[in-house]
Amino acid sequence: MTKSADKQNYLLAELNELTKFHYSHCEPYKQMLSKSNHALEVTTLEEIPFLPVQLFKMLALHSIAENDIFKVLTSSGTTGQQVSKIYLDKDTAKAQTKALVEVMTPLLGKKRLPMIMIDTKNVLKDRKSFSARGAGILGFSNFGRRHFYLLHDDMTIDWDGLNEFLEQHKDERVLLFGFTFMIWQYFYQATLSKGIKLNLKDSVLIHGGGWKKLKDQSVSNERFKDMLFQQFGIQSIHNYYGMVEQVGSIFVECPKGHLHTPVYADVIIRDPLSFQPLPFGEQGLIQVLSTLPKSYPGHSLLTEDLGTIHGEDDCSCGWKGKYFSVAGRIPKAELRGCSDTFAFDKKVGKTI
Amino acid sequence: MRFYWPATSERWQTQIESVIQMRPLKPFDQRVVAFLQSLSKTILKDHTYRRYPELITLAYWLRRAHIEEMKASFLKRADNRLLRARGVALHFAPSNVDTIFVYSWVLSMLAGNNNILRISGREQQQTDLLIAAILKEIAQHPEVASRTAIVTYEHNDEITRFLSERCHIRIVWGGDETVRKIRSIPLAPLATELVFPDRFSLSAFEAKEVINANESDMKEFVHQFYNDGFWFAQMACSSPRLIAWIGSPDLIALAQKRFWNELNDHLDAHLEELSAAMQVQKLTTGYLLSIDNETTSFMHQQNFTRVQLEAINREMKERHCGGGLFYELELPKLKDLSSLLDDKDQTLSYFGFTREALIDFAKAIENRSIDRIVPVGQSLAFGGVWDGYDLMMHFTRELVIR
Repeated sequence: MTKSADKQNYLLAELNELTKFHYSHCEPYKQMLSKSNHALEVTTLEEIPFLPVQLFKMLALHSIAENDIFKVLTSSGTTGQQVSKIYLDKDTAKAQTKALVEVMTPLLGKKRLPMIMIDTKNVLKDRKSFSARGAGILGFSNFGRRHFYLLHDDMTIDWDGLNEFLEQHKDERVLLFGFTFMIWQYFYQATLSKGIKLNLKDSVLIHGGGWKKLKDQSVSNERFKDMLFQQFGIQSIHNYYGMVEQVGSIFVECPKGHLHTPVYADVIIRDPLSFQPLPFGEQGLIQVLSTLPKSYPGHSLLTEDLGTIHGEDDCSCGWKGKYFSVAGRIPKAELRGCSDTFAFDKKVGKTI
Repeated sequence: MRFYWPATSERWQTQIESVIQMRPLKPFDQRVVAFLQSLSKTILKDHTYRRYPELITLAYWLRRAHIEEMKASFLKRADNRLLRARGVALHFAPSNVDTIFVYSWVLSMLAGNNNILRISGREQQQTDLLIAAILKEIAQHPEVASRTAIVTYEHNDEITRFLSERCHIRIVWGGDETVRKIRSIPLAPLATELVFPDRFSLSAFEAKEVINANESDMKEFVHQFYNDGFWFAQMACSSPRLIAWIGSPDLIALAQKRFWNELNDHLDAHLEELSAAMQVQKLTTGYLLSIDNETTSFMHQQNFTRVQLEAINREMKERHCGGGLFYELELPKLKDLSSLLDDKDQTLSYFGFTREALIDFAKAIENRSIDRIVPVGQSLAFGGVWDGYDLMMHFTRELVIR
């Protein structure tokens, strides 16, 4: 049996178990599946029922008792927008931390590196309810030591602190972590406008959070990497793709620029209109699967992101798993569909 | 504030005042009718408008023959009473059904009023085309031109207050929120108001008639329903969002099978573009509604999404996202539907009922629900009586002579 078939069988068994578990422990989930006539035990990954990520913005979905809720993750969202609420118990939270270690160790090694957080310390203020930014920072902070928060509350750089940090760790490999847009805006642009160049050449930068704002400024992943290399000398820059709504789905960019699926997670690309699975090479909606969400029914989710799977187990970087890229979010539904959503019937002449 | 018309560079207050101080015209002034005919011709002549059936529908509505019909009906209702324009009408157009502002404006100008129209200003091709046609014609018709201001501005209480203090009637088309917001701004003491808030609309089909329809009638029926349910992405307040199936469970099952299969084929041929966002939205809404006890089943397909219900509540109506999502109810008699309706329900489009059955149903309604009962295919057809108001009667006032 091939490696990919092994993984499929393993995932299928685990995910079928999760469907059944959540069906019997989460009443709303049970209603959803039974009323839409979904089978609980299926024979391919493609048949596993998937919930739209949006649903977590509208409903509190969990398969654990209220007093087993260990922490609640929330998605980032601009003011006025509803945010997702994701309920974790201790085990799921622990599994998430462990999964992150497994994914990141090949990239960062076992030793903890001095770490620069390209964010403000304030983002961690509320310990009970974590925003996506806070959760990311807290999760990744385990890979570093001597954490230095680069930004003041007003998003300006703490130059004194930075200089002191770099002086202390001048011959060491440094880990930098932050959100793609914030790195660009508050670190790269700010140093660029001040005409300051830094030498961080042995360091590694991990970043995520989405490209929407940078796309608006026509900054591609390639340009991002080039500019950061020119400005800071960083050669090892890795984007990751993931979402609060699915713990365990951390897809990290390999040296060849592709996102890879870890062993306990998978992606399926679906036609954006029919939701039918698409073959490798075709762009569609990204469905994410993960064996980790045990405290809430989030093991199979349909995202609003478009992406393409390029292959499986044969990426030239040497990493295994399906490898893919993300093209961005689908455009928002217009209040009025008409011409841009629907094409009209050609037959005209309704009588009034 | 941005003016589509008039196209001068004066202060906006000055431009508005110049419209306000004009003397109103008499109802059905020939010069107004002439303007409407030119507008109709401009739209019908130009091929770029053909892509938008709602604009063509509007152009047909503006034809001389139809205006004459409206005039005859107006005179009949006036019945020797002396009806005059109110004066200045201030219209707030909705953003989701952009042609509405023209219907509101046209009826008001036929009544003789001076008109100030606030349109949404969102970039939409239909609106742009429509405005282009209006601007082309209005310049040639000074009596209409001098009595019209078409503007857009971001919601601004000060501007709305300025305009509201100077009108005789305010007409608000829009969602509940817009209606609430604008209503909080006082009107001139003598002014009155018509508001058109969010509504919900539905269809009722007699199962037996759906089964018995011959092939060509069935095709026509499905085609008409498609016009009702899929134009405006099902977002107009008169777009049907619920189908009440009437008959015995066996007959309903057969009728549903036939209807949805035919509709699916029709959509395969005619529905060229769907958006991913709308598909995801429908899937989400379907799952969300599934947790309701009143929901019995949820079926998502590419062309449409069905949610079967035992009863319907207000929240479900508000959750509806459009784009081809249909709630379904099954009832033994049309009359049984009357007790499930509430104030929000506006249009019932029907297939397969006798006039007696419709009248029985209408009489059985005890609350404020349902303002229109029309054959399937007519849901979106604008009429001079809307939400229970005879617009021409409200746009005019009666001068009593004893």
